[in-house]
Amino acid sequence: MTLLEIKNLNLSMRSFEGETQILHGIDLTVERGQIWGMVGETGSGKSLTGLSVSRLIPPATGRYLAGSIAFEGRDVLKASEKDMRTLRGRKIGMIFQDPTTNLNPVFRIGTQLVDVALHAGHADPTVLGLEPGASSRDLKKAAKRVSVEMLDKVGIPKAADRIHDYPHQFSGGMKQRVLIAMAMIGKPDLLIADEPTTALDVSVQAQILKLIHELVAERNIGVLMITHNLGVVAQICSHVAVMYRGRILESGPVTDVLKRPSHVYTQALLNSIPTAHTRRGELRGLGGVMPEVQ
Amino acid sequence: MLEINNVSKIFPGQRKGLFGHTEGFKALDDVSLRVRKGKSFGLVGESGSGKTTLTRCILRLETLTSGNILYEGADIGKLTSTEMRRLRARLQIVFQDPYASLDPRMTIHDIIAEPLVIHRDIVPMTARQRTERVLELLLQVGLREEHLFRYPHEFSGGQRQRIGIARALAAKPEFLILDEPTSALDVSVQADVLNLLHRLQEELGLTYFFISHDLGVIRYICDEVAVIYRGKLVESGPVEDIFERPANEYTRMLLDAMPDPDPDRSPFRQKVSA
Repeated sequence: MTLLEIKNLNLSMRSFEGETQILHGIDLTVERGQIWGMVGETGSGKSLTGLSVSRLIPPATGRYLAGSIAFEGRDVLKASEKDMRTLRGRKIGMIFQDPTTNLNPVFRIGTQLVDVALHAGHADPTVLGLEPGASSRDLKKAAKRVSVEMLDKVGIPKAADRIHDYPHQFSGGMKQRVLIAMAMIGKPDLLIADEPTTALDVSVQAQILKLIHELVAERNIGVLMITHNLGVVAQICSHVAVMYRGRILESGPVTDVLKRPSHVYTQALLNSIPTAHTRRGELRGLGGVMPEVQ
Repeated sequence: MLEINNVSKIFPGQRKGLFGHTEGFKALDDVSLRVRKGKSFGLVGESGSGKTTLTRCILRLETLTSGNILYEGADIGKLTSTEMRRLRARLQIVFQDPYASLDPRMTIHDIIAEPLVIHRDIVPMTARQRTERVLELLLQVGLREEHLFRYPHEFSGGQRQRIGIARALAAKPEFLILDEPTSALDVSVQADVLNLLHRLQEELGLTYFFISHDLGVIRYICDEVAVIYRGKLVESGPVEDIFERPANEYTRMLLDAMPDPDPDRSPFRQKVSA
């Protein structure tokens, strides 16, 4: 079955200045084992597409005008809030851009990981390697064990000790690893990574990308990776969708789109990246045009 | 133009007992650099490697533990506060975060005019002359006259960074420190800001001290580059040499980690096809 199928998604958001349509008919299909890159400038709607998949758009401001998001055949937009809670963190994992603000500074890393593991475990004890109907004591024990295992897996040295540390004792790259561990603990089938490396150094970025790549190879999950960095897309993604002002301009396998871009905008984006071979004066910016508010 | 000689900076450690301190943190360890007039000098390093500490030392916002910094022959550490204030008019900085470095309660006019007010003994101007200068600067960085009395929140990240650059240029400095001026921006906007910096350098004959962790940006804008790792200078030299023939293992690692927009150069894909 198709893992994720977004069809003709139209979203509008309300603000003090009135209602603006943000997404204009997004179509996207993610299969298992694929890493989809969504590229676009600030305000192009790539993050809101990602948030829509786990339905994290606040209902008070966001309104879906048309379209559907089918996750394993079920329409996420029509699911009840209770159903969504079983999906989030369980079937759909999310990693956000800023690792510093997404961990609670007053709780230990371990506490926060165990929380997530318990949430997943209550819904389905097999995630923690237990029989269905396991006692809550076993669950707690298993949650702790799995937390340490995951932390170890994402490459935190001495995970069993570090689990008692607070977020401020971790560096940016390590915090991002904790967030990846947290997203992976429920053994999700789909991982949504919203700018997971934007706040990190290039050397750390390379490690995180490698980690995501390994997870995909190992678990055969699907990934929706939101980024504005075409370099990252070229490195890790199998497919790419280029977004501009709430529309997907072109999409397809990475090599096709980036090697032979059919749209002038994609070409323009490629021209704006300074690489090791760019000569002075060759770069072309786009002026940063933002979507208009009606 | 700028000489940095054997500079070390140690931040004191935590208090221990009544008089003791734990061992301090060595943010800069025996760093020596030369920046030539009219050129762009790039400083690359990871976060925490001491890049920003070095710029703070150049502006004397930090005191040095040892070594000295000479600006056109004058030791920055030995200047009186009046002399230092005069020097700061010629030595300006553009900050990393365009969202945090502009006062939200000041108009663009007031923000850009502020250095002119502070340095009024060096650049004496009437209020009207100041407004004219601000307007000239706005046009120079690619903004328009109607932006003059707006507030920072009305501008995008790229436009704000242009305002930051205009402010730095207000007192007609000769030396500009750029502390990751484009890392908070989209690549598409970054390209415009880089081209602007390039054009300004040609028009005004500025010297740049450019800090970044993005090697592509450094390559694009700089003539010379120094790589710094954990407070130590790893390697320095002309941009072509460092990029084409990196002598140091760490530099090579940084270059390899740079994401190239060519899918064929991806280390993951090579593994898959092989």
